[in-house]
Amino acid sequence: MANHAVAIIESALRERKLDRTLTTALPPLERTDPSAVAGTGTAALDAVLHGGLPRGQLSEIAGAPSTGRTALLLQMMAAATRRGEIAALIDTFDRLDVPSAIAAGIDLDRLLWVRGDAIAQTDAGHAGAVRDLRDRVLDRAVKALNLVLQAGGFGLVAIDLADVPAIALKRLPFTTWLRVQRTIEGSDTACVLVVPEPLARSAGGLTCTLAARTSWAGTADRSRRLDRLDITTRIVSPRRRVEGEVAIVAAVV
Amino acid sequence: MFGVLYAAPGSEPATLVDIAREFSPRIEPYGPLEIAIDLSGLTRLFGTADEIGHELRRTAADRGVRVRVAIAGTCTAARLIVRHRVGVTVIEPGTEADTVAPLPIALLAAIASNGSNVLNVPNVLNVPNVPNDSNDFVVTLRRWGLRTLGEFAALAPDDVAARLGQEGIAWQRIACGQDAQPLVPAVVEEPFEQALDLEWPIDGLEPLSFVLGRLLEPLSARLERRDRGAAVLHIRLRLVKTDSVKRDGATRAVHERSLQLPAPMRDARTLRTLALLDLESHPPDAAIDRVVVAIDPTPGRVLQFSLLTRPLPSPEQLSTLMARLNALMGEGRCGSPMDVDSWQPGAFAMKPFAPRDCDSHPIPVEPMTAATRPVVALRRFRFPVPARVRVEDGRPVRVTTDRPGSSGGRVQTGAGPWRTSGEWWSEAGAAWNRDEWDVALSDGATYRLFRERAGGATAARWGAHDADRWFVEGIVD
Repeated sequence: MANHAVAIIESALRERKLDRTLTTALPPLERTDPSAVAGTGTAALDAVLHGGLPRGQLSEIAGAPSTGRTALLLQMMAAATRRGEIAALIDTFDRLDVPSAIAAGIDLDRLLWVRGDAIAQTDAGHAGAVRDLRDRVLDRAVKALNLVLQAGGFGLVAIDLADVPAIALKRLPFTTWLRVQRTIEGSDTACVLVVPEPLARSAGGLTCTLAARTSWAGTADRSRRLDRLDITTRIVSPRRRVEGEVAIVAAVV
Repeated sequence: MFGVLYAAPGSEPATLVDIAREFSPRIEPYGPLEIAIDLSGLTRLFGTADEIGHELRRTAADRGVRVRVAIAGTCTAARLIVRHRVGVTVIEPGTEADTVAPLPIALLAAIASNGSNVLNVPNVLNVPNVPNDSNDFVVTLRRWGLRTLGEFAALAPDDVAARLGQEGIAWQRIACGQDAQPLVPAVVEEPFEQALDLEWPIDGLEPLSFVLGRLLEPLSARLERRDRGAAVLHIRLRLVKTDSVKRDGATRAVHERSLQLPAPMRDARTLRTLALLDLESHPPDAAIDRVVVAIDPTPGRVLQFSLLTRPLPSPEQLSTLMARLNALMGEGRCGSPMDVDSWQPGAFAMKPFAPRDCDSHPIPVEPMTAATRPVVALRRFRFPVPARVRVEDGRPVRVTTDRPGSSGGRVQTGAGPWRTSGEWWSEAGAAWNRDEWDVALSDGATYRLFRERAGGATAARWGAHDADRWFVEGIVD
């Protein structure tokens, strides 16, 4: 009987897509308030999001490798720095390619880059040692995220967890993201997680799940080159009543 | 009544200042070898002006400094006469003009610097945008036939003003031994330093934080009273090391740290936090029995915040954040990335994160238009991942690695090769010579691959001594 009731509640939550959200006591900002959102720099995406990423909320960009997560993140950071805001990137495994950031238009002087440890292939001993090393790096990245959020003043703070195995992310306590949400609640900071699969957005945040197709220019072997990424972004944000798909093209510069 | 000490060349300026301060707190240095002293009220202590002069000379001799001493009713007269006569010279008050009259006119150039201010020299050359030189002024006076200060003082003031302007009148008064301005006493620079000897040694940062707080509170209050901020914070911890303790304690090890602060600050809690974070990264290796905190002060900055720009974290918040991040992630791992003038793939540098500097160089904020779209980025492996590549007809057809999460697969589409090389002219370890490929594998991801050619350093870095090694540079994302 009790199990049946629990199953009904769980299916209702899943139906409303509230199965992985966090609660907040504050009323949401008016959707039409432009200061409540941080533009992503992509007009098509901003149109669906009613202006951009919600400030004071935890959002996430999820997807498999080569689906445009980094391209979208850099675009958001470029938009933030060009608005005169300062942005922070917690780079868990030190993956940022600075020329790519420059090509995206990020004002590097306004970007705080917190570089985690790049685990070299030679560091890979037995599986247990690799897992411990990775967990330590992940722990430091989450602590760095909390330090940056507590300092305040940043328009956009992102943590790159894209290369962290899903199993390692699930080992993080659920309260980790609750604490992050509490820290940024009511502030002007939009916090973004870049993750391999949807992990933890806040109730007022949004999840962008990406899929992409790589396009090549040229037909002959010797003349072929990577041309663009055709990205399909599926957006879910129940509280903000935003849902839909957006097609974005990321060009090779 | 004023006295002027003029030391022999090679004398220590600090010693001269100390000698002067023994007699009066109101002193004004005019350079490393000359110092003026306000002798008002000293007749009750030392006697006549002549006795004061000889006492000054005797005190200087005891310190190993040979000085000339001149005492007069005006500072200028004393300065002029001390350059001309050795020993102790005393000018009776009221006779300054007559006493300095026979002195050579070249002395005017010698006293062109008047303590903290440089006297304005008349523009005798009439050349615009050329600084007026006191030597040119004296040459001009000589050309007029003037040889002594008295001859210059005897000229009609109106004629002097007509030819040399108001500056000429001021110099004429100097030639009479009159002061252009009152003596400006040099303010003793109080050291911002606090020290505490502990009754028993302490070990660890937690008890040290209480000691630092106790020392920084009064320093912070003094900084505020003097409208100063801390530019550099010095922490000196005397260590208790049983193998190096001498009976007299003269050669004890000292653990010293100096923190260069990004902006002047005086909040005691912020300074204590920064000091503790630094000591966390560079801890002392023994117990501590004496703590000294010193601050290099600097004038506080006046910041005008704007109503139009987005507020940034305060310098104190930013300093604390960067110190905490550096302690957590390691030195040099946090900051702003910087482009470098290099064709090496992925080359970059780091610089301190200083968003306030951006405000003085605002970027033109261009509106994001519909035409603005993302660019394909690379997720770079800071240490390229060695790969095993099967090649057919000169093209990769299968790529596998030992990297967890990207085992590789069959090449579905590939583009390349693009050959790049560089830094072959620099020292070993910086050269690269590679063929690059973009490949889409059957695992669904697109990778940047490269084959290291002969002369490249990447293979050697991974212990491979032959060329022709393949590496995965990053993932296109």
